[in-house]
Amino acid sequence: MYNEVRVFVENKPGKLSHVAELLGGTGIDILTLELADEGQFGVFKILTAEPDKAKSILSDAGMTVAFNQVAIVEISDRPGGLVKLAKALESADLNVTDAYGCILERGKRAVFVVKGDNLEAIEAAAREAGLRPLESLE
Amino acid sequence: MDLADRAGGKFEWMAEEELRKWQLQALKQSIAQAAKSPWYGMKFKNLGLDPEDIRSLDDVSQLPFTSKDDLRLSYPTGMLAVPPEEVLRMHTSSGTTGKPTAIFHTKEDVDCWAELMARCLAMAGATSTDVFQNMSGYGLFTGGLGLHYGAERLGMWVIPAGAGNTARQITLIRDFHVTVIHATPSYAMHVAERMVQDGDDPKTLGIRIAALGAEPYTDEMRLKLQDLYGFKAFNSYGLSEMNGPGVSFECSEQNGMHIWEDAYLIEIINAQTLEPACEGEVGELVMTTLRRTAMPMIRYRTRDLTRFLAGDCPCGRKHRRIARMVGRSDDMLIIRGVDVFPSQIEEVLMREKRLGGNYVIHLTKREALDQMTVKVELAKGEFDGSIESLRNLRAEMQKHLKEQVGFTVNVDVLEPGSLPASEGKAQRVIDERE
Repeated sequence: MYNEVRVFVENKPGKLSHVAELLGGTGIDILTLELADEGQFGVFKILTAEPDKAKSILSDAGMTVAFNQVAIVEISDRPGGLVKLAKALESADLNVTDAYGCILERGKRAVFVVKGDNLEAIEAAAREAGLRPLESLE
Repeated sequence: MDLADRAGGKFEWMAEEELRKWQLQALKQSIAQAAKSPWYGMKFKNLGLDPEDIRSLDDVSQLPFTSKDDLRLSYPTGMLAVPPEEVLRMHTSSGTTGKPTAIFHTKEDVDCWAELMARCLAMAGATSTDVFQNMSGYGLFTGGLGLHYGAERLGMWVIPAGAGNTARQITLIRDFHVTVIHATPSYAMHVAERMVQDGDDPKTLGIRIAALGAEPYTDEMRLKLQDLYGFKAFNSYGLSEMNGPGVSFECSEQNGMHIWEDAYLIEIINAQTLEPACEGEVGELVMTTLRRTAMPMIRYRTRDLTRFLAGDCPCGRKHRRIARMVGRSDDMLIIRGVDVFPSQIEEVLMREKRLGGNYVIHLTKREALDQMTVKVELAKGEFDGSIESLRNLRAEMQKHLKEQVGFTVNVDVLEPGSLPASEGKAQRVIDERE
């Protein structure tokens, strides 16, 4: 299991650059950053190799931050790389509530980030299919 | 002098009948004193009014009302009833509505005010062994010197901290073991939230009593503050025209505010008919000073809406109790033809633990239709990373607010600490409908 960093923000200009500056300025590498837009407010979903450090930097700067537990599974960055995992989840009848991918090494390694009701079952299904759930991105 | 005398014990425990007898003779004196001012002198003469016509307390209805406009028209000294050399101090209204108005006090008046205020604090349980921090602005605003003199009269250790500078307020409270504070509810909330934000717990301050007033607030807000600090919060109502704080205060029962009837003759009227409101009915509070010499005021229309609480208070005091103010008639908003008091909105917001204590009601117009947006902060530590729970929180609040006011209210959920903090009276309504 892994901690995705989530930041609650009012939806207005300047919020993204504030987050980017804070993390960039302290040398934190952002693997992915997504905004879940809810109209008046939004939530940034940030995947980084240093979630603890990112969380404390952002909250020290007065931002509203929390961890969101996700499963991340290493897949190969090639066409069809996701199929193995998707099939494994399907045959285990596991529901996915949020998912996105991220390339680690182009043409070689990628990770797929999955949020579901039962993260342990998702990881177990991945393992059974010969895939590797990651605890660290360093 | 023992504490009871110092704090006006003879008036505090007066029996009902004795109190009414005192009021009648004090009313006659007050009318005679008011007649010495140019404003009332002329007014009474034009009406052919003779203080001797007042034979019972009910005869007060023969007297003319005094409005905020009268205060403006008689500005600066038209209502001054003593020679200028007898004036010891003046205050002006805090300007909640319109331009300021001036109120004058003789030495006697300042003494009486201190006595009334001391009685309030003692009634809530404060004693001379308490350390008192007044977190209210000093100067023309009556919440500073009013509380200050009362607390000194009670013999408390007084820290005149004034408004603002939150870090210093907290340091003073901690270093001098402050046990009693006075603040606006919105500022008390701000201090608590600031402490929580810094990973501190307001309960560790050890405050036991808070006098909260100078702005309308709901019982839900009181409960939230009591919960945060672990103190007992007492509602204080006053207005500069009637001195300021010290007019009415809650006793240890925390159930309605006793108005000091030895100093004020009180009526609650129907603002339309100007007739006395029915028993228990909400109406406008009208007050006549009974113990002020520099500037007596006759039947002052406060514009504040309240009602009498029925029955005797278990504390034994015969001074009647009024309910928490519903609002100031000036505060009432008319939205899509519906009367709404900001207090109705606050009530709903304060019941929700996941929200902070600060809020703003924003009014706009879209396609000729009034729109209300309530901006409120997520409480510190309530973000769990889930978008769903934020979405649900907003939907729930919109539902509760619609149930309360009858039309759709937009809710903006903001980050903790993003609304402007208030150090005095909070600006709760932004009306941009024109």
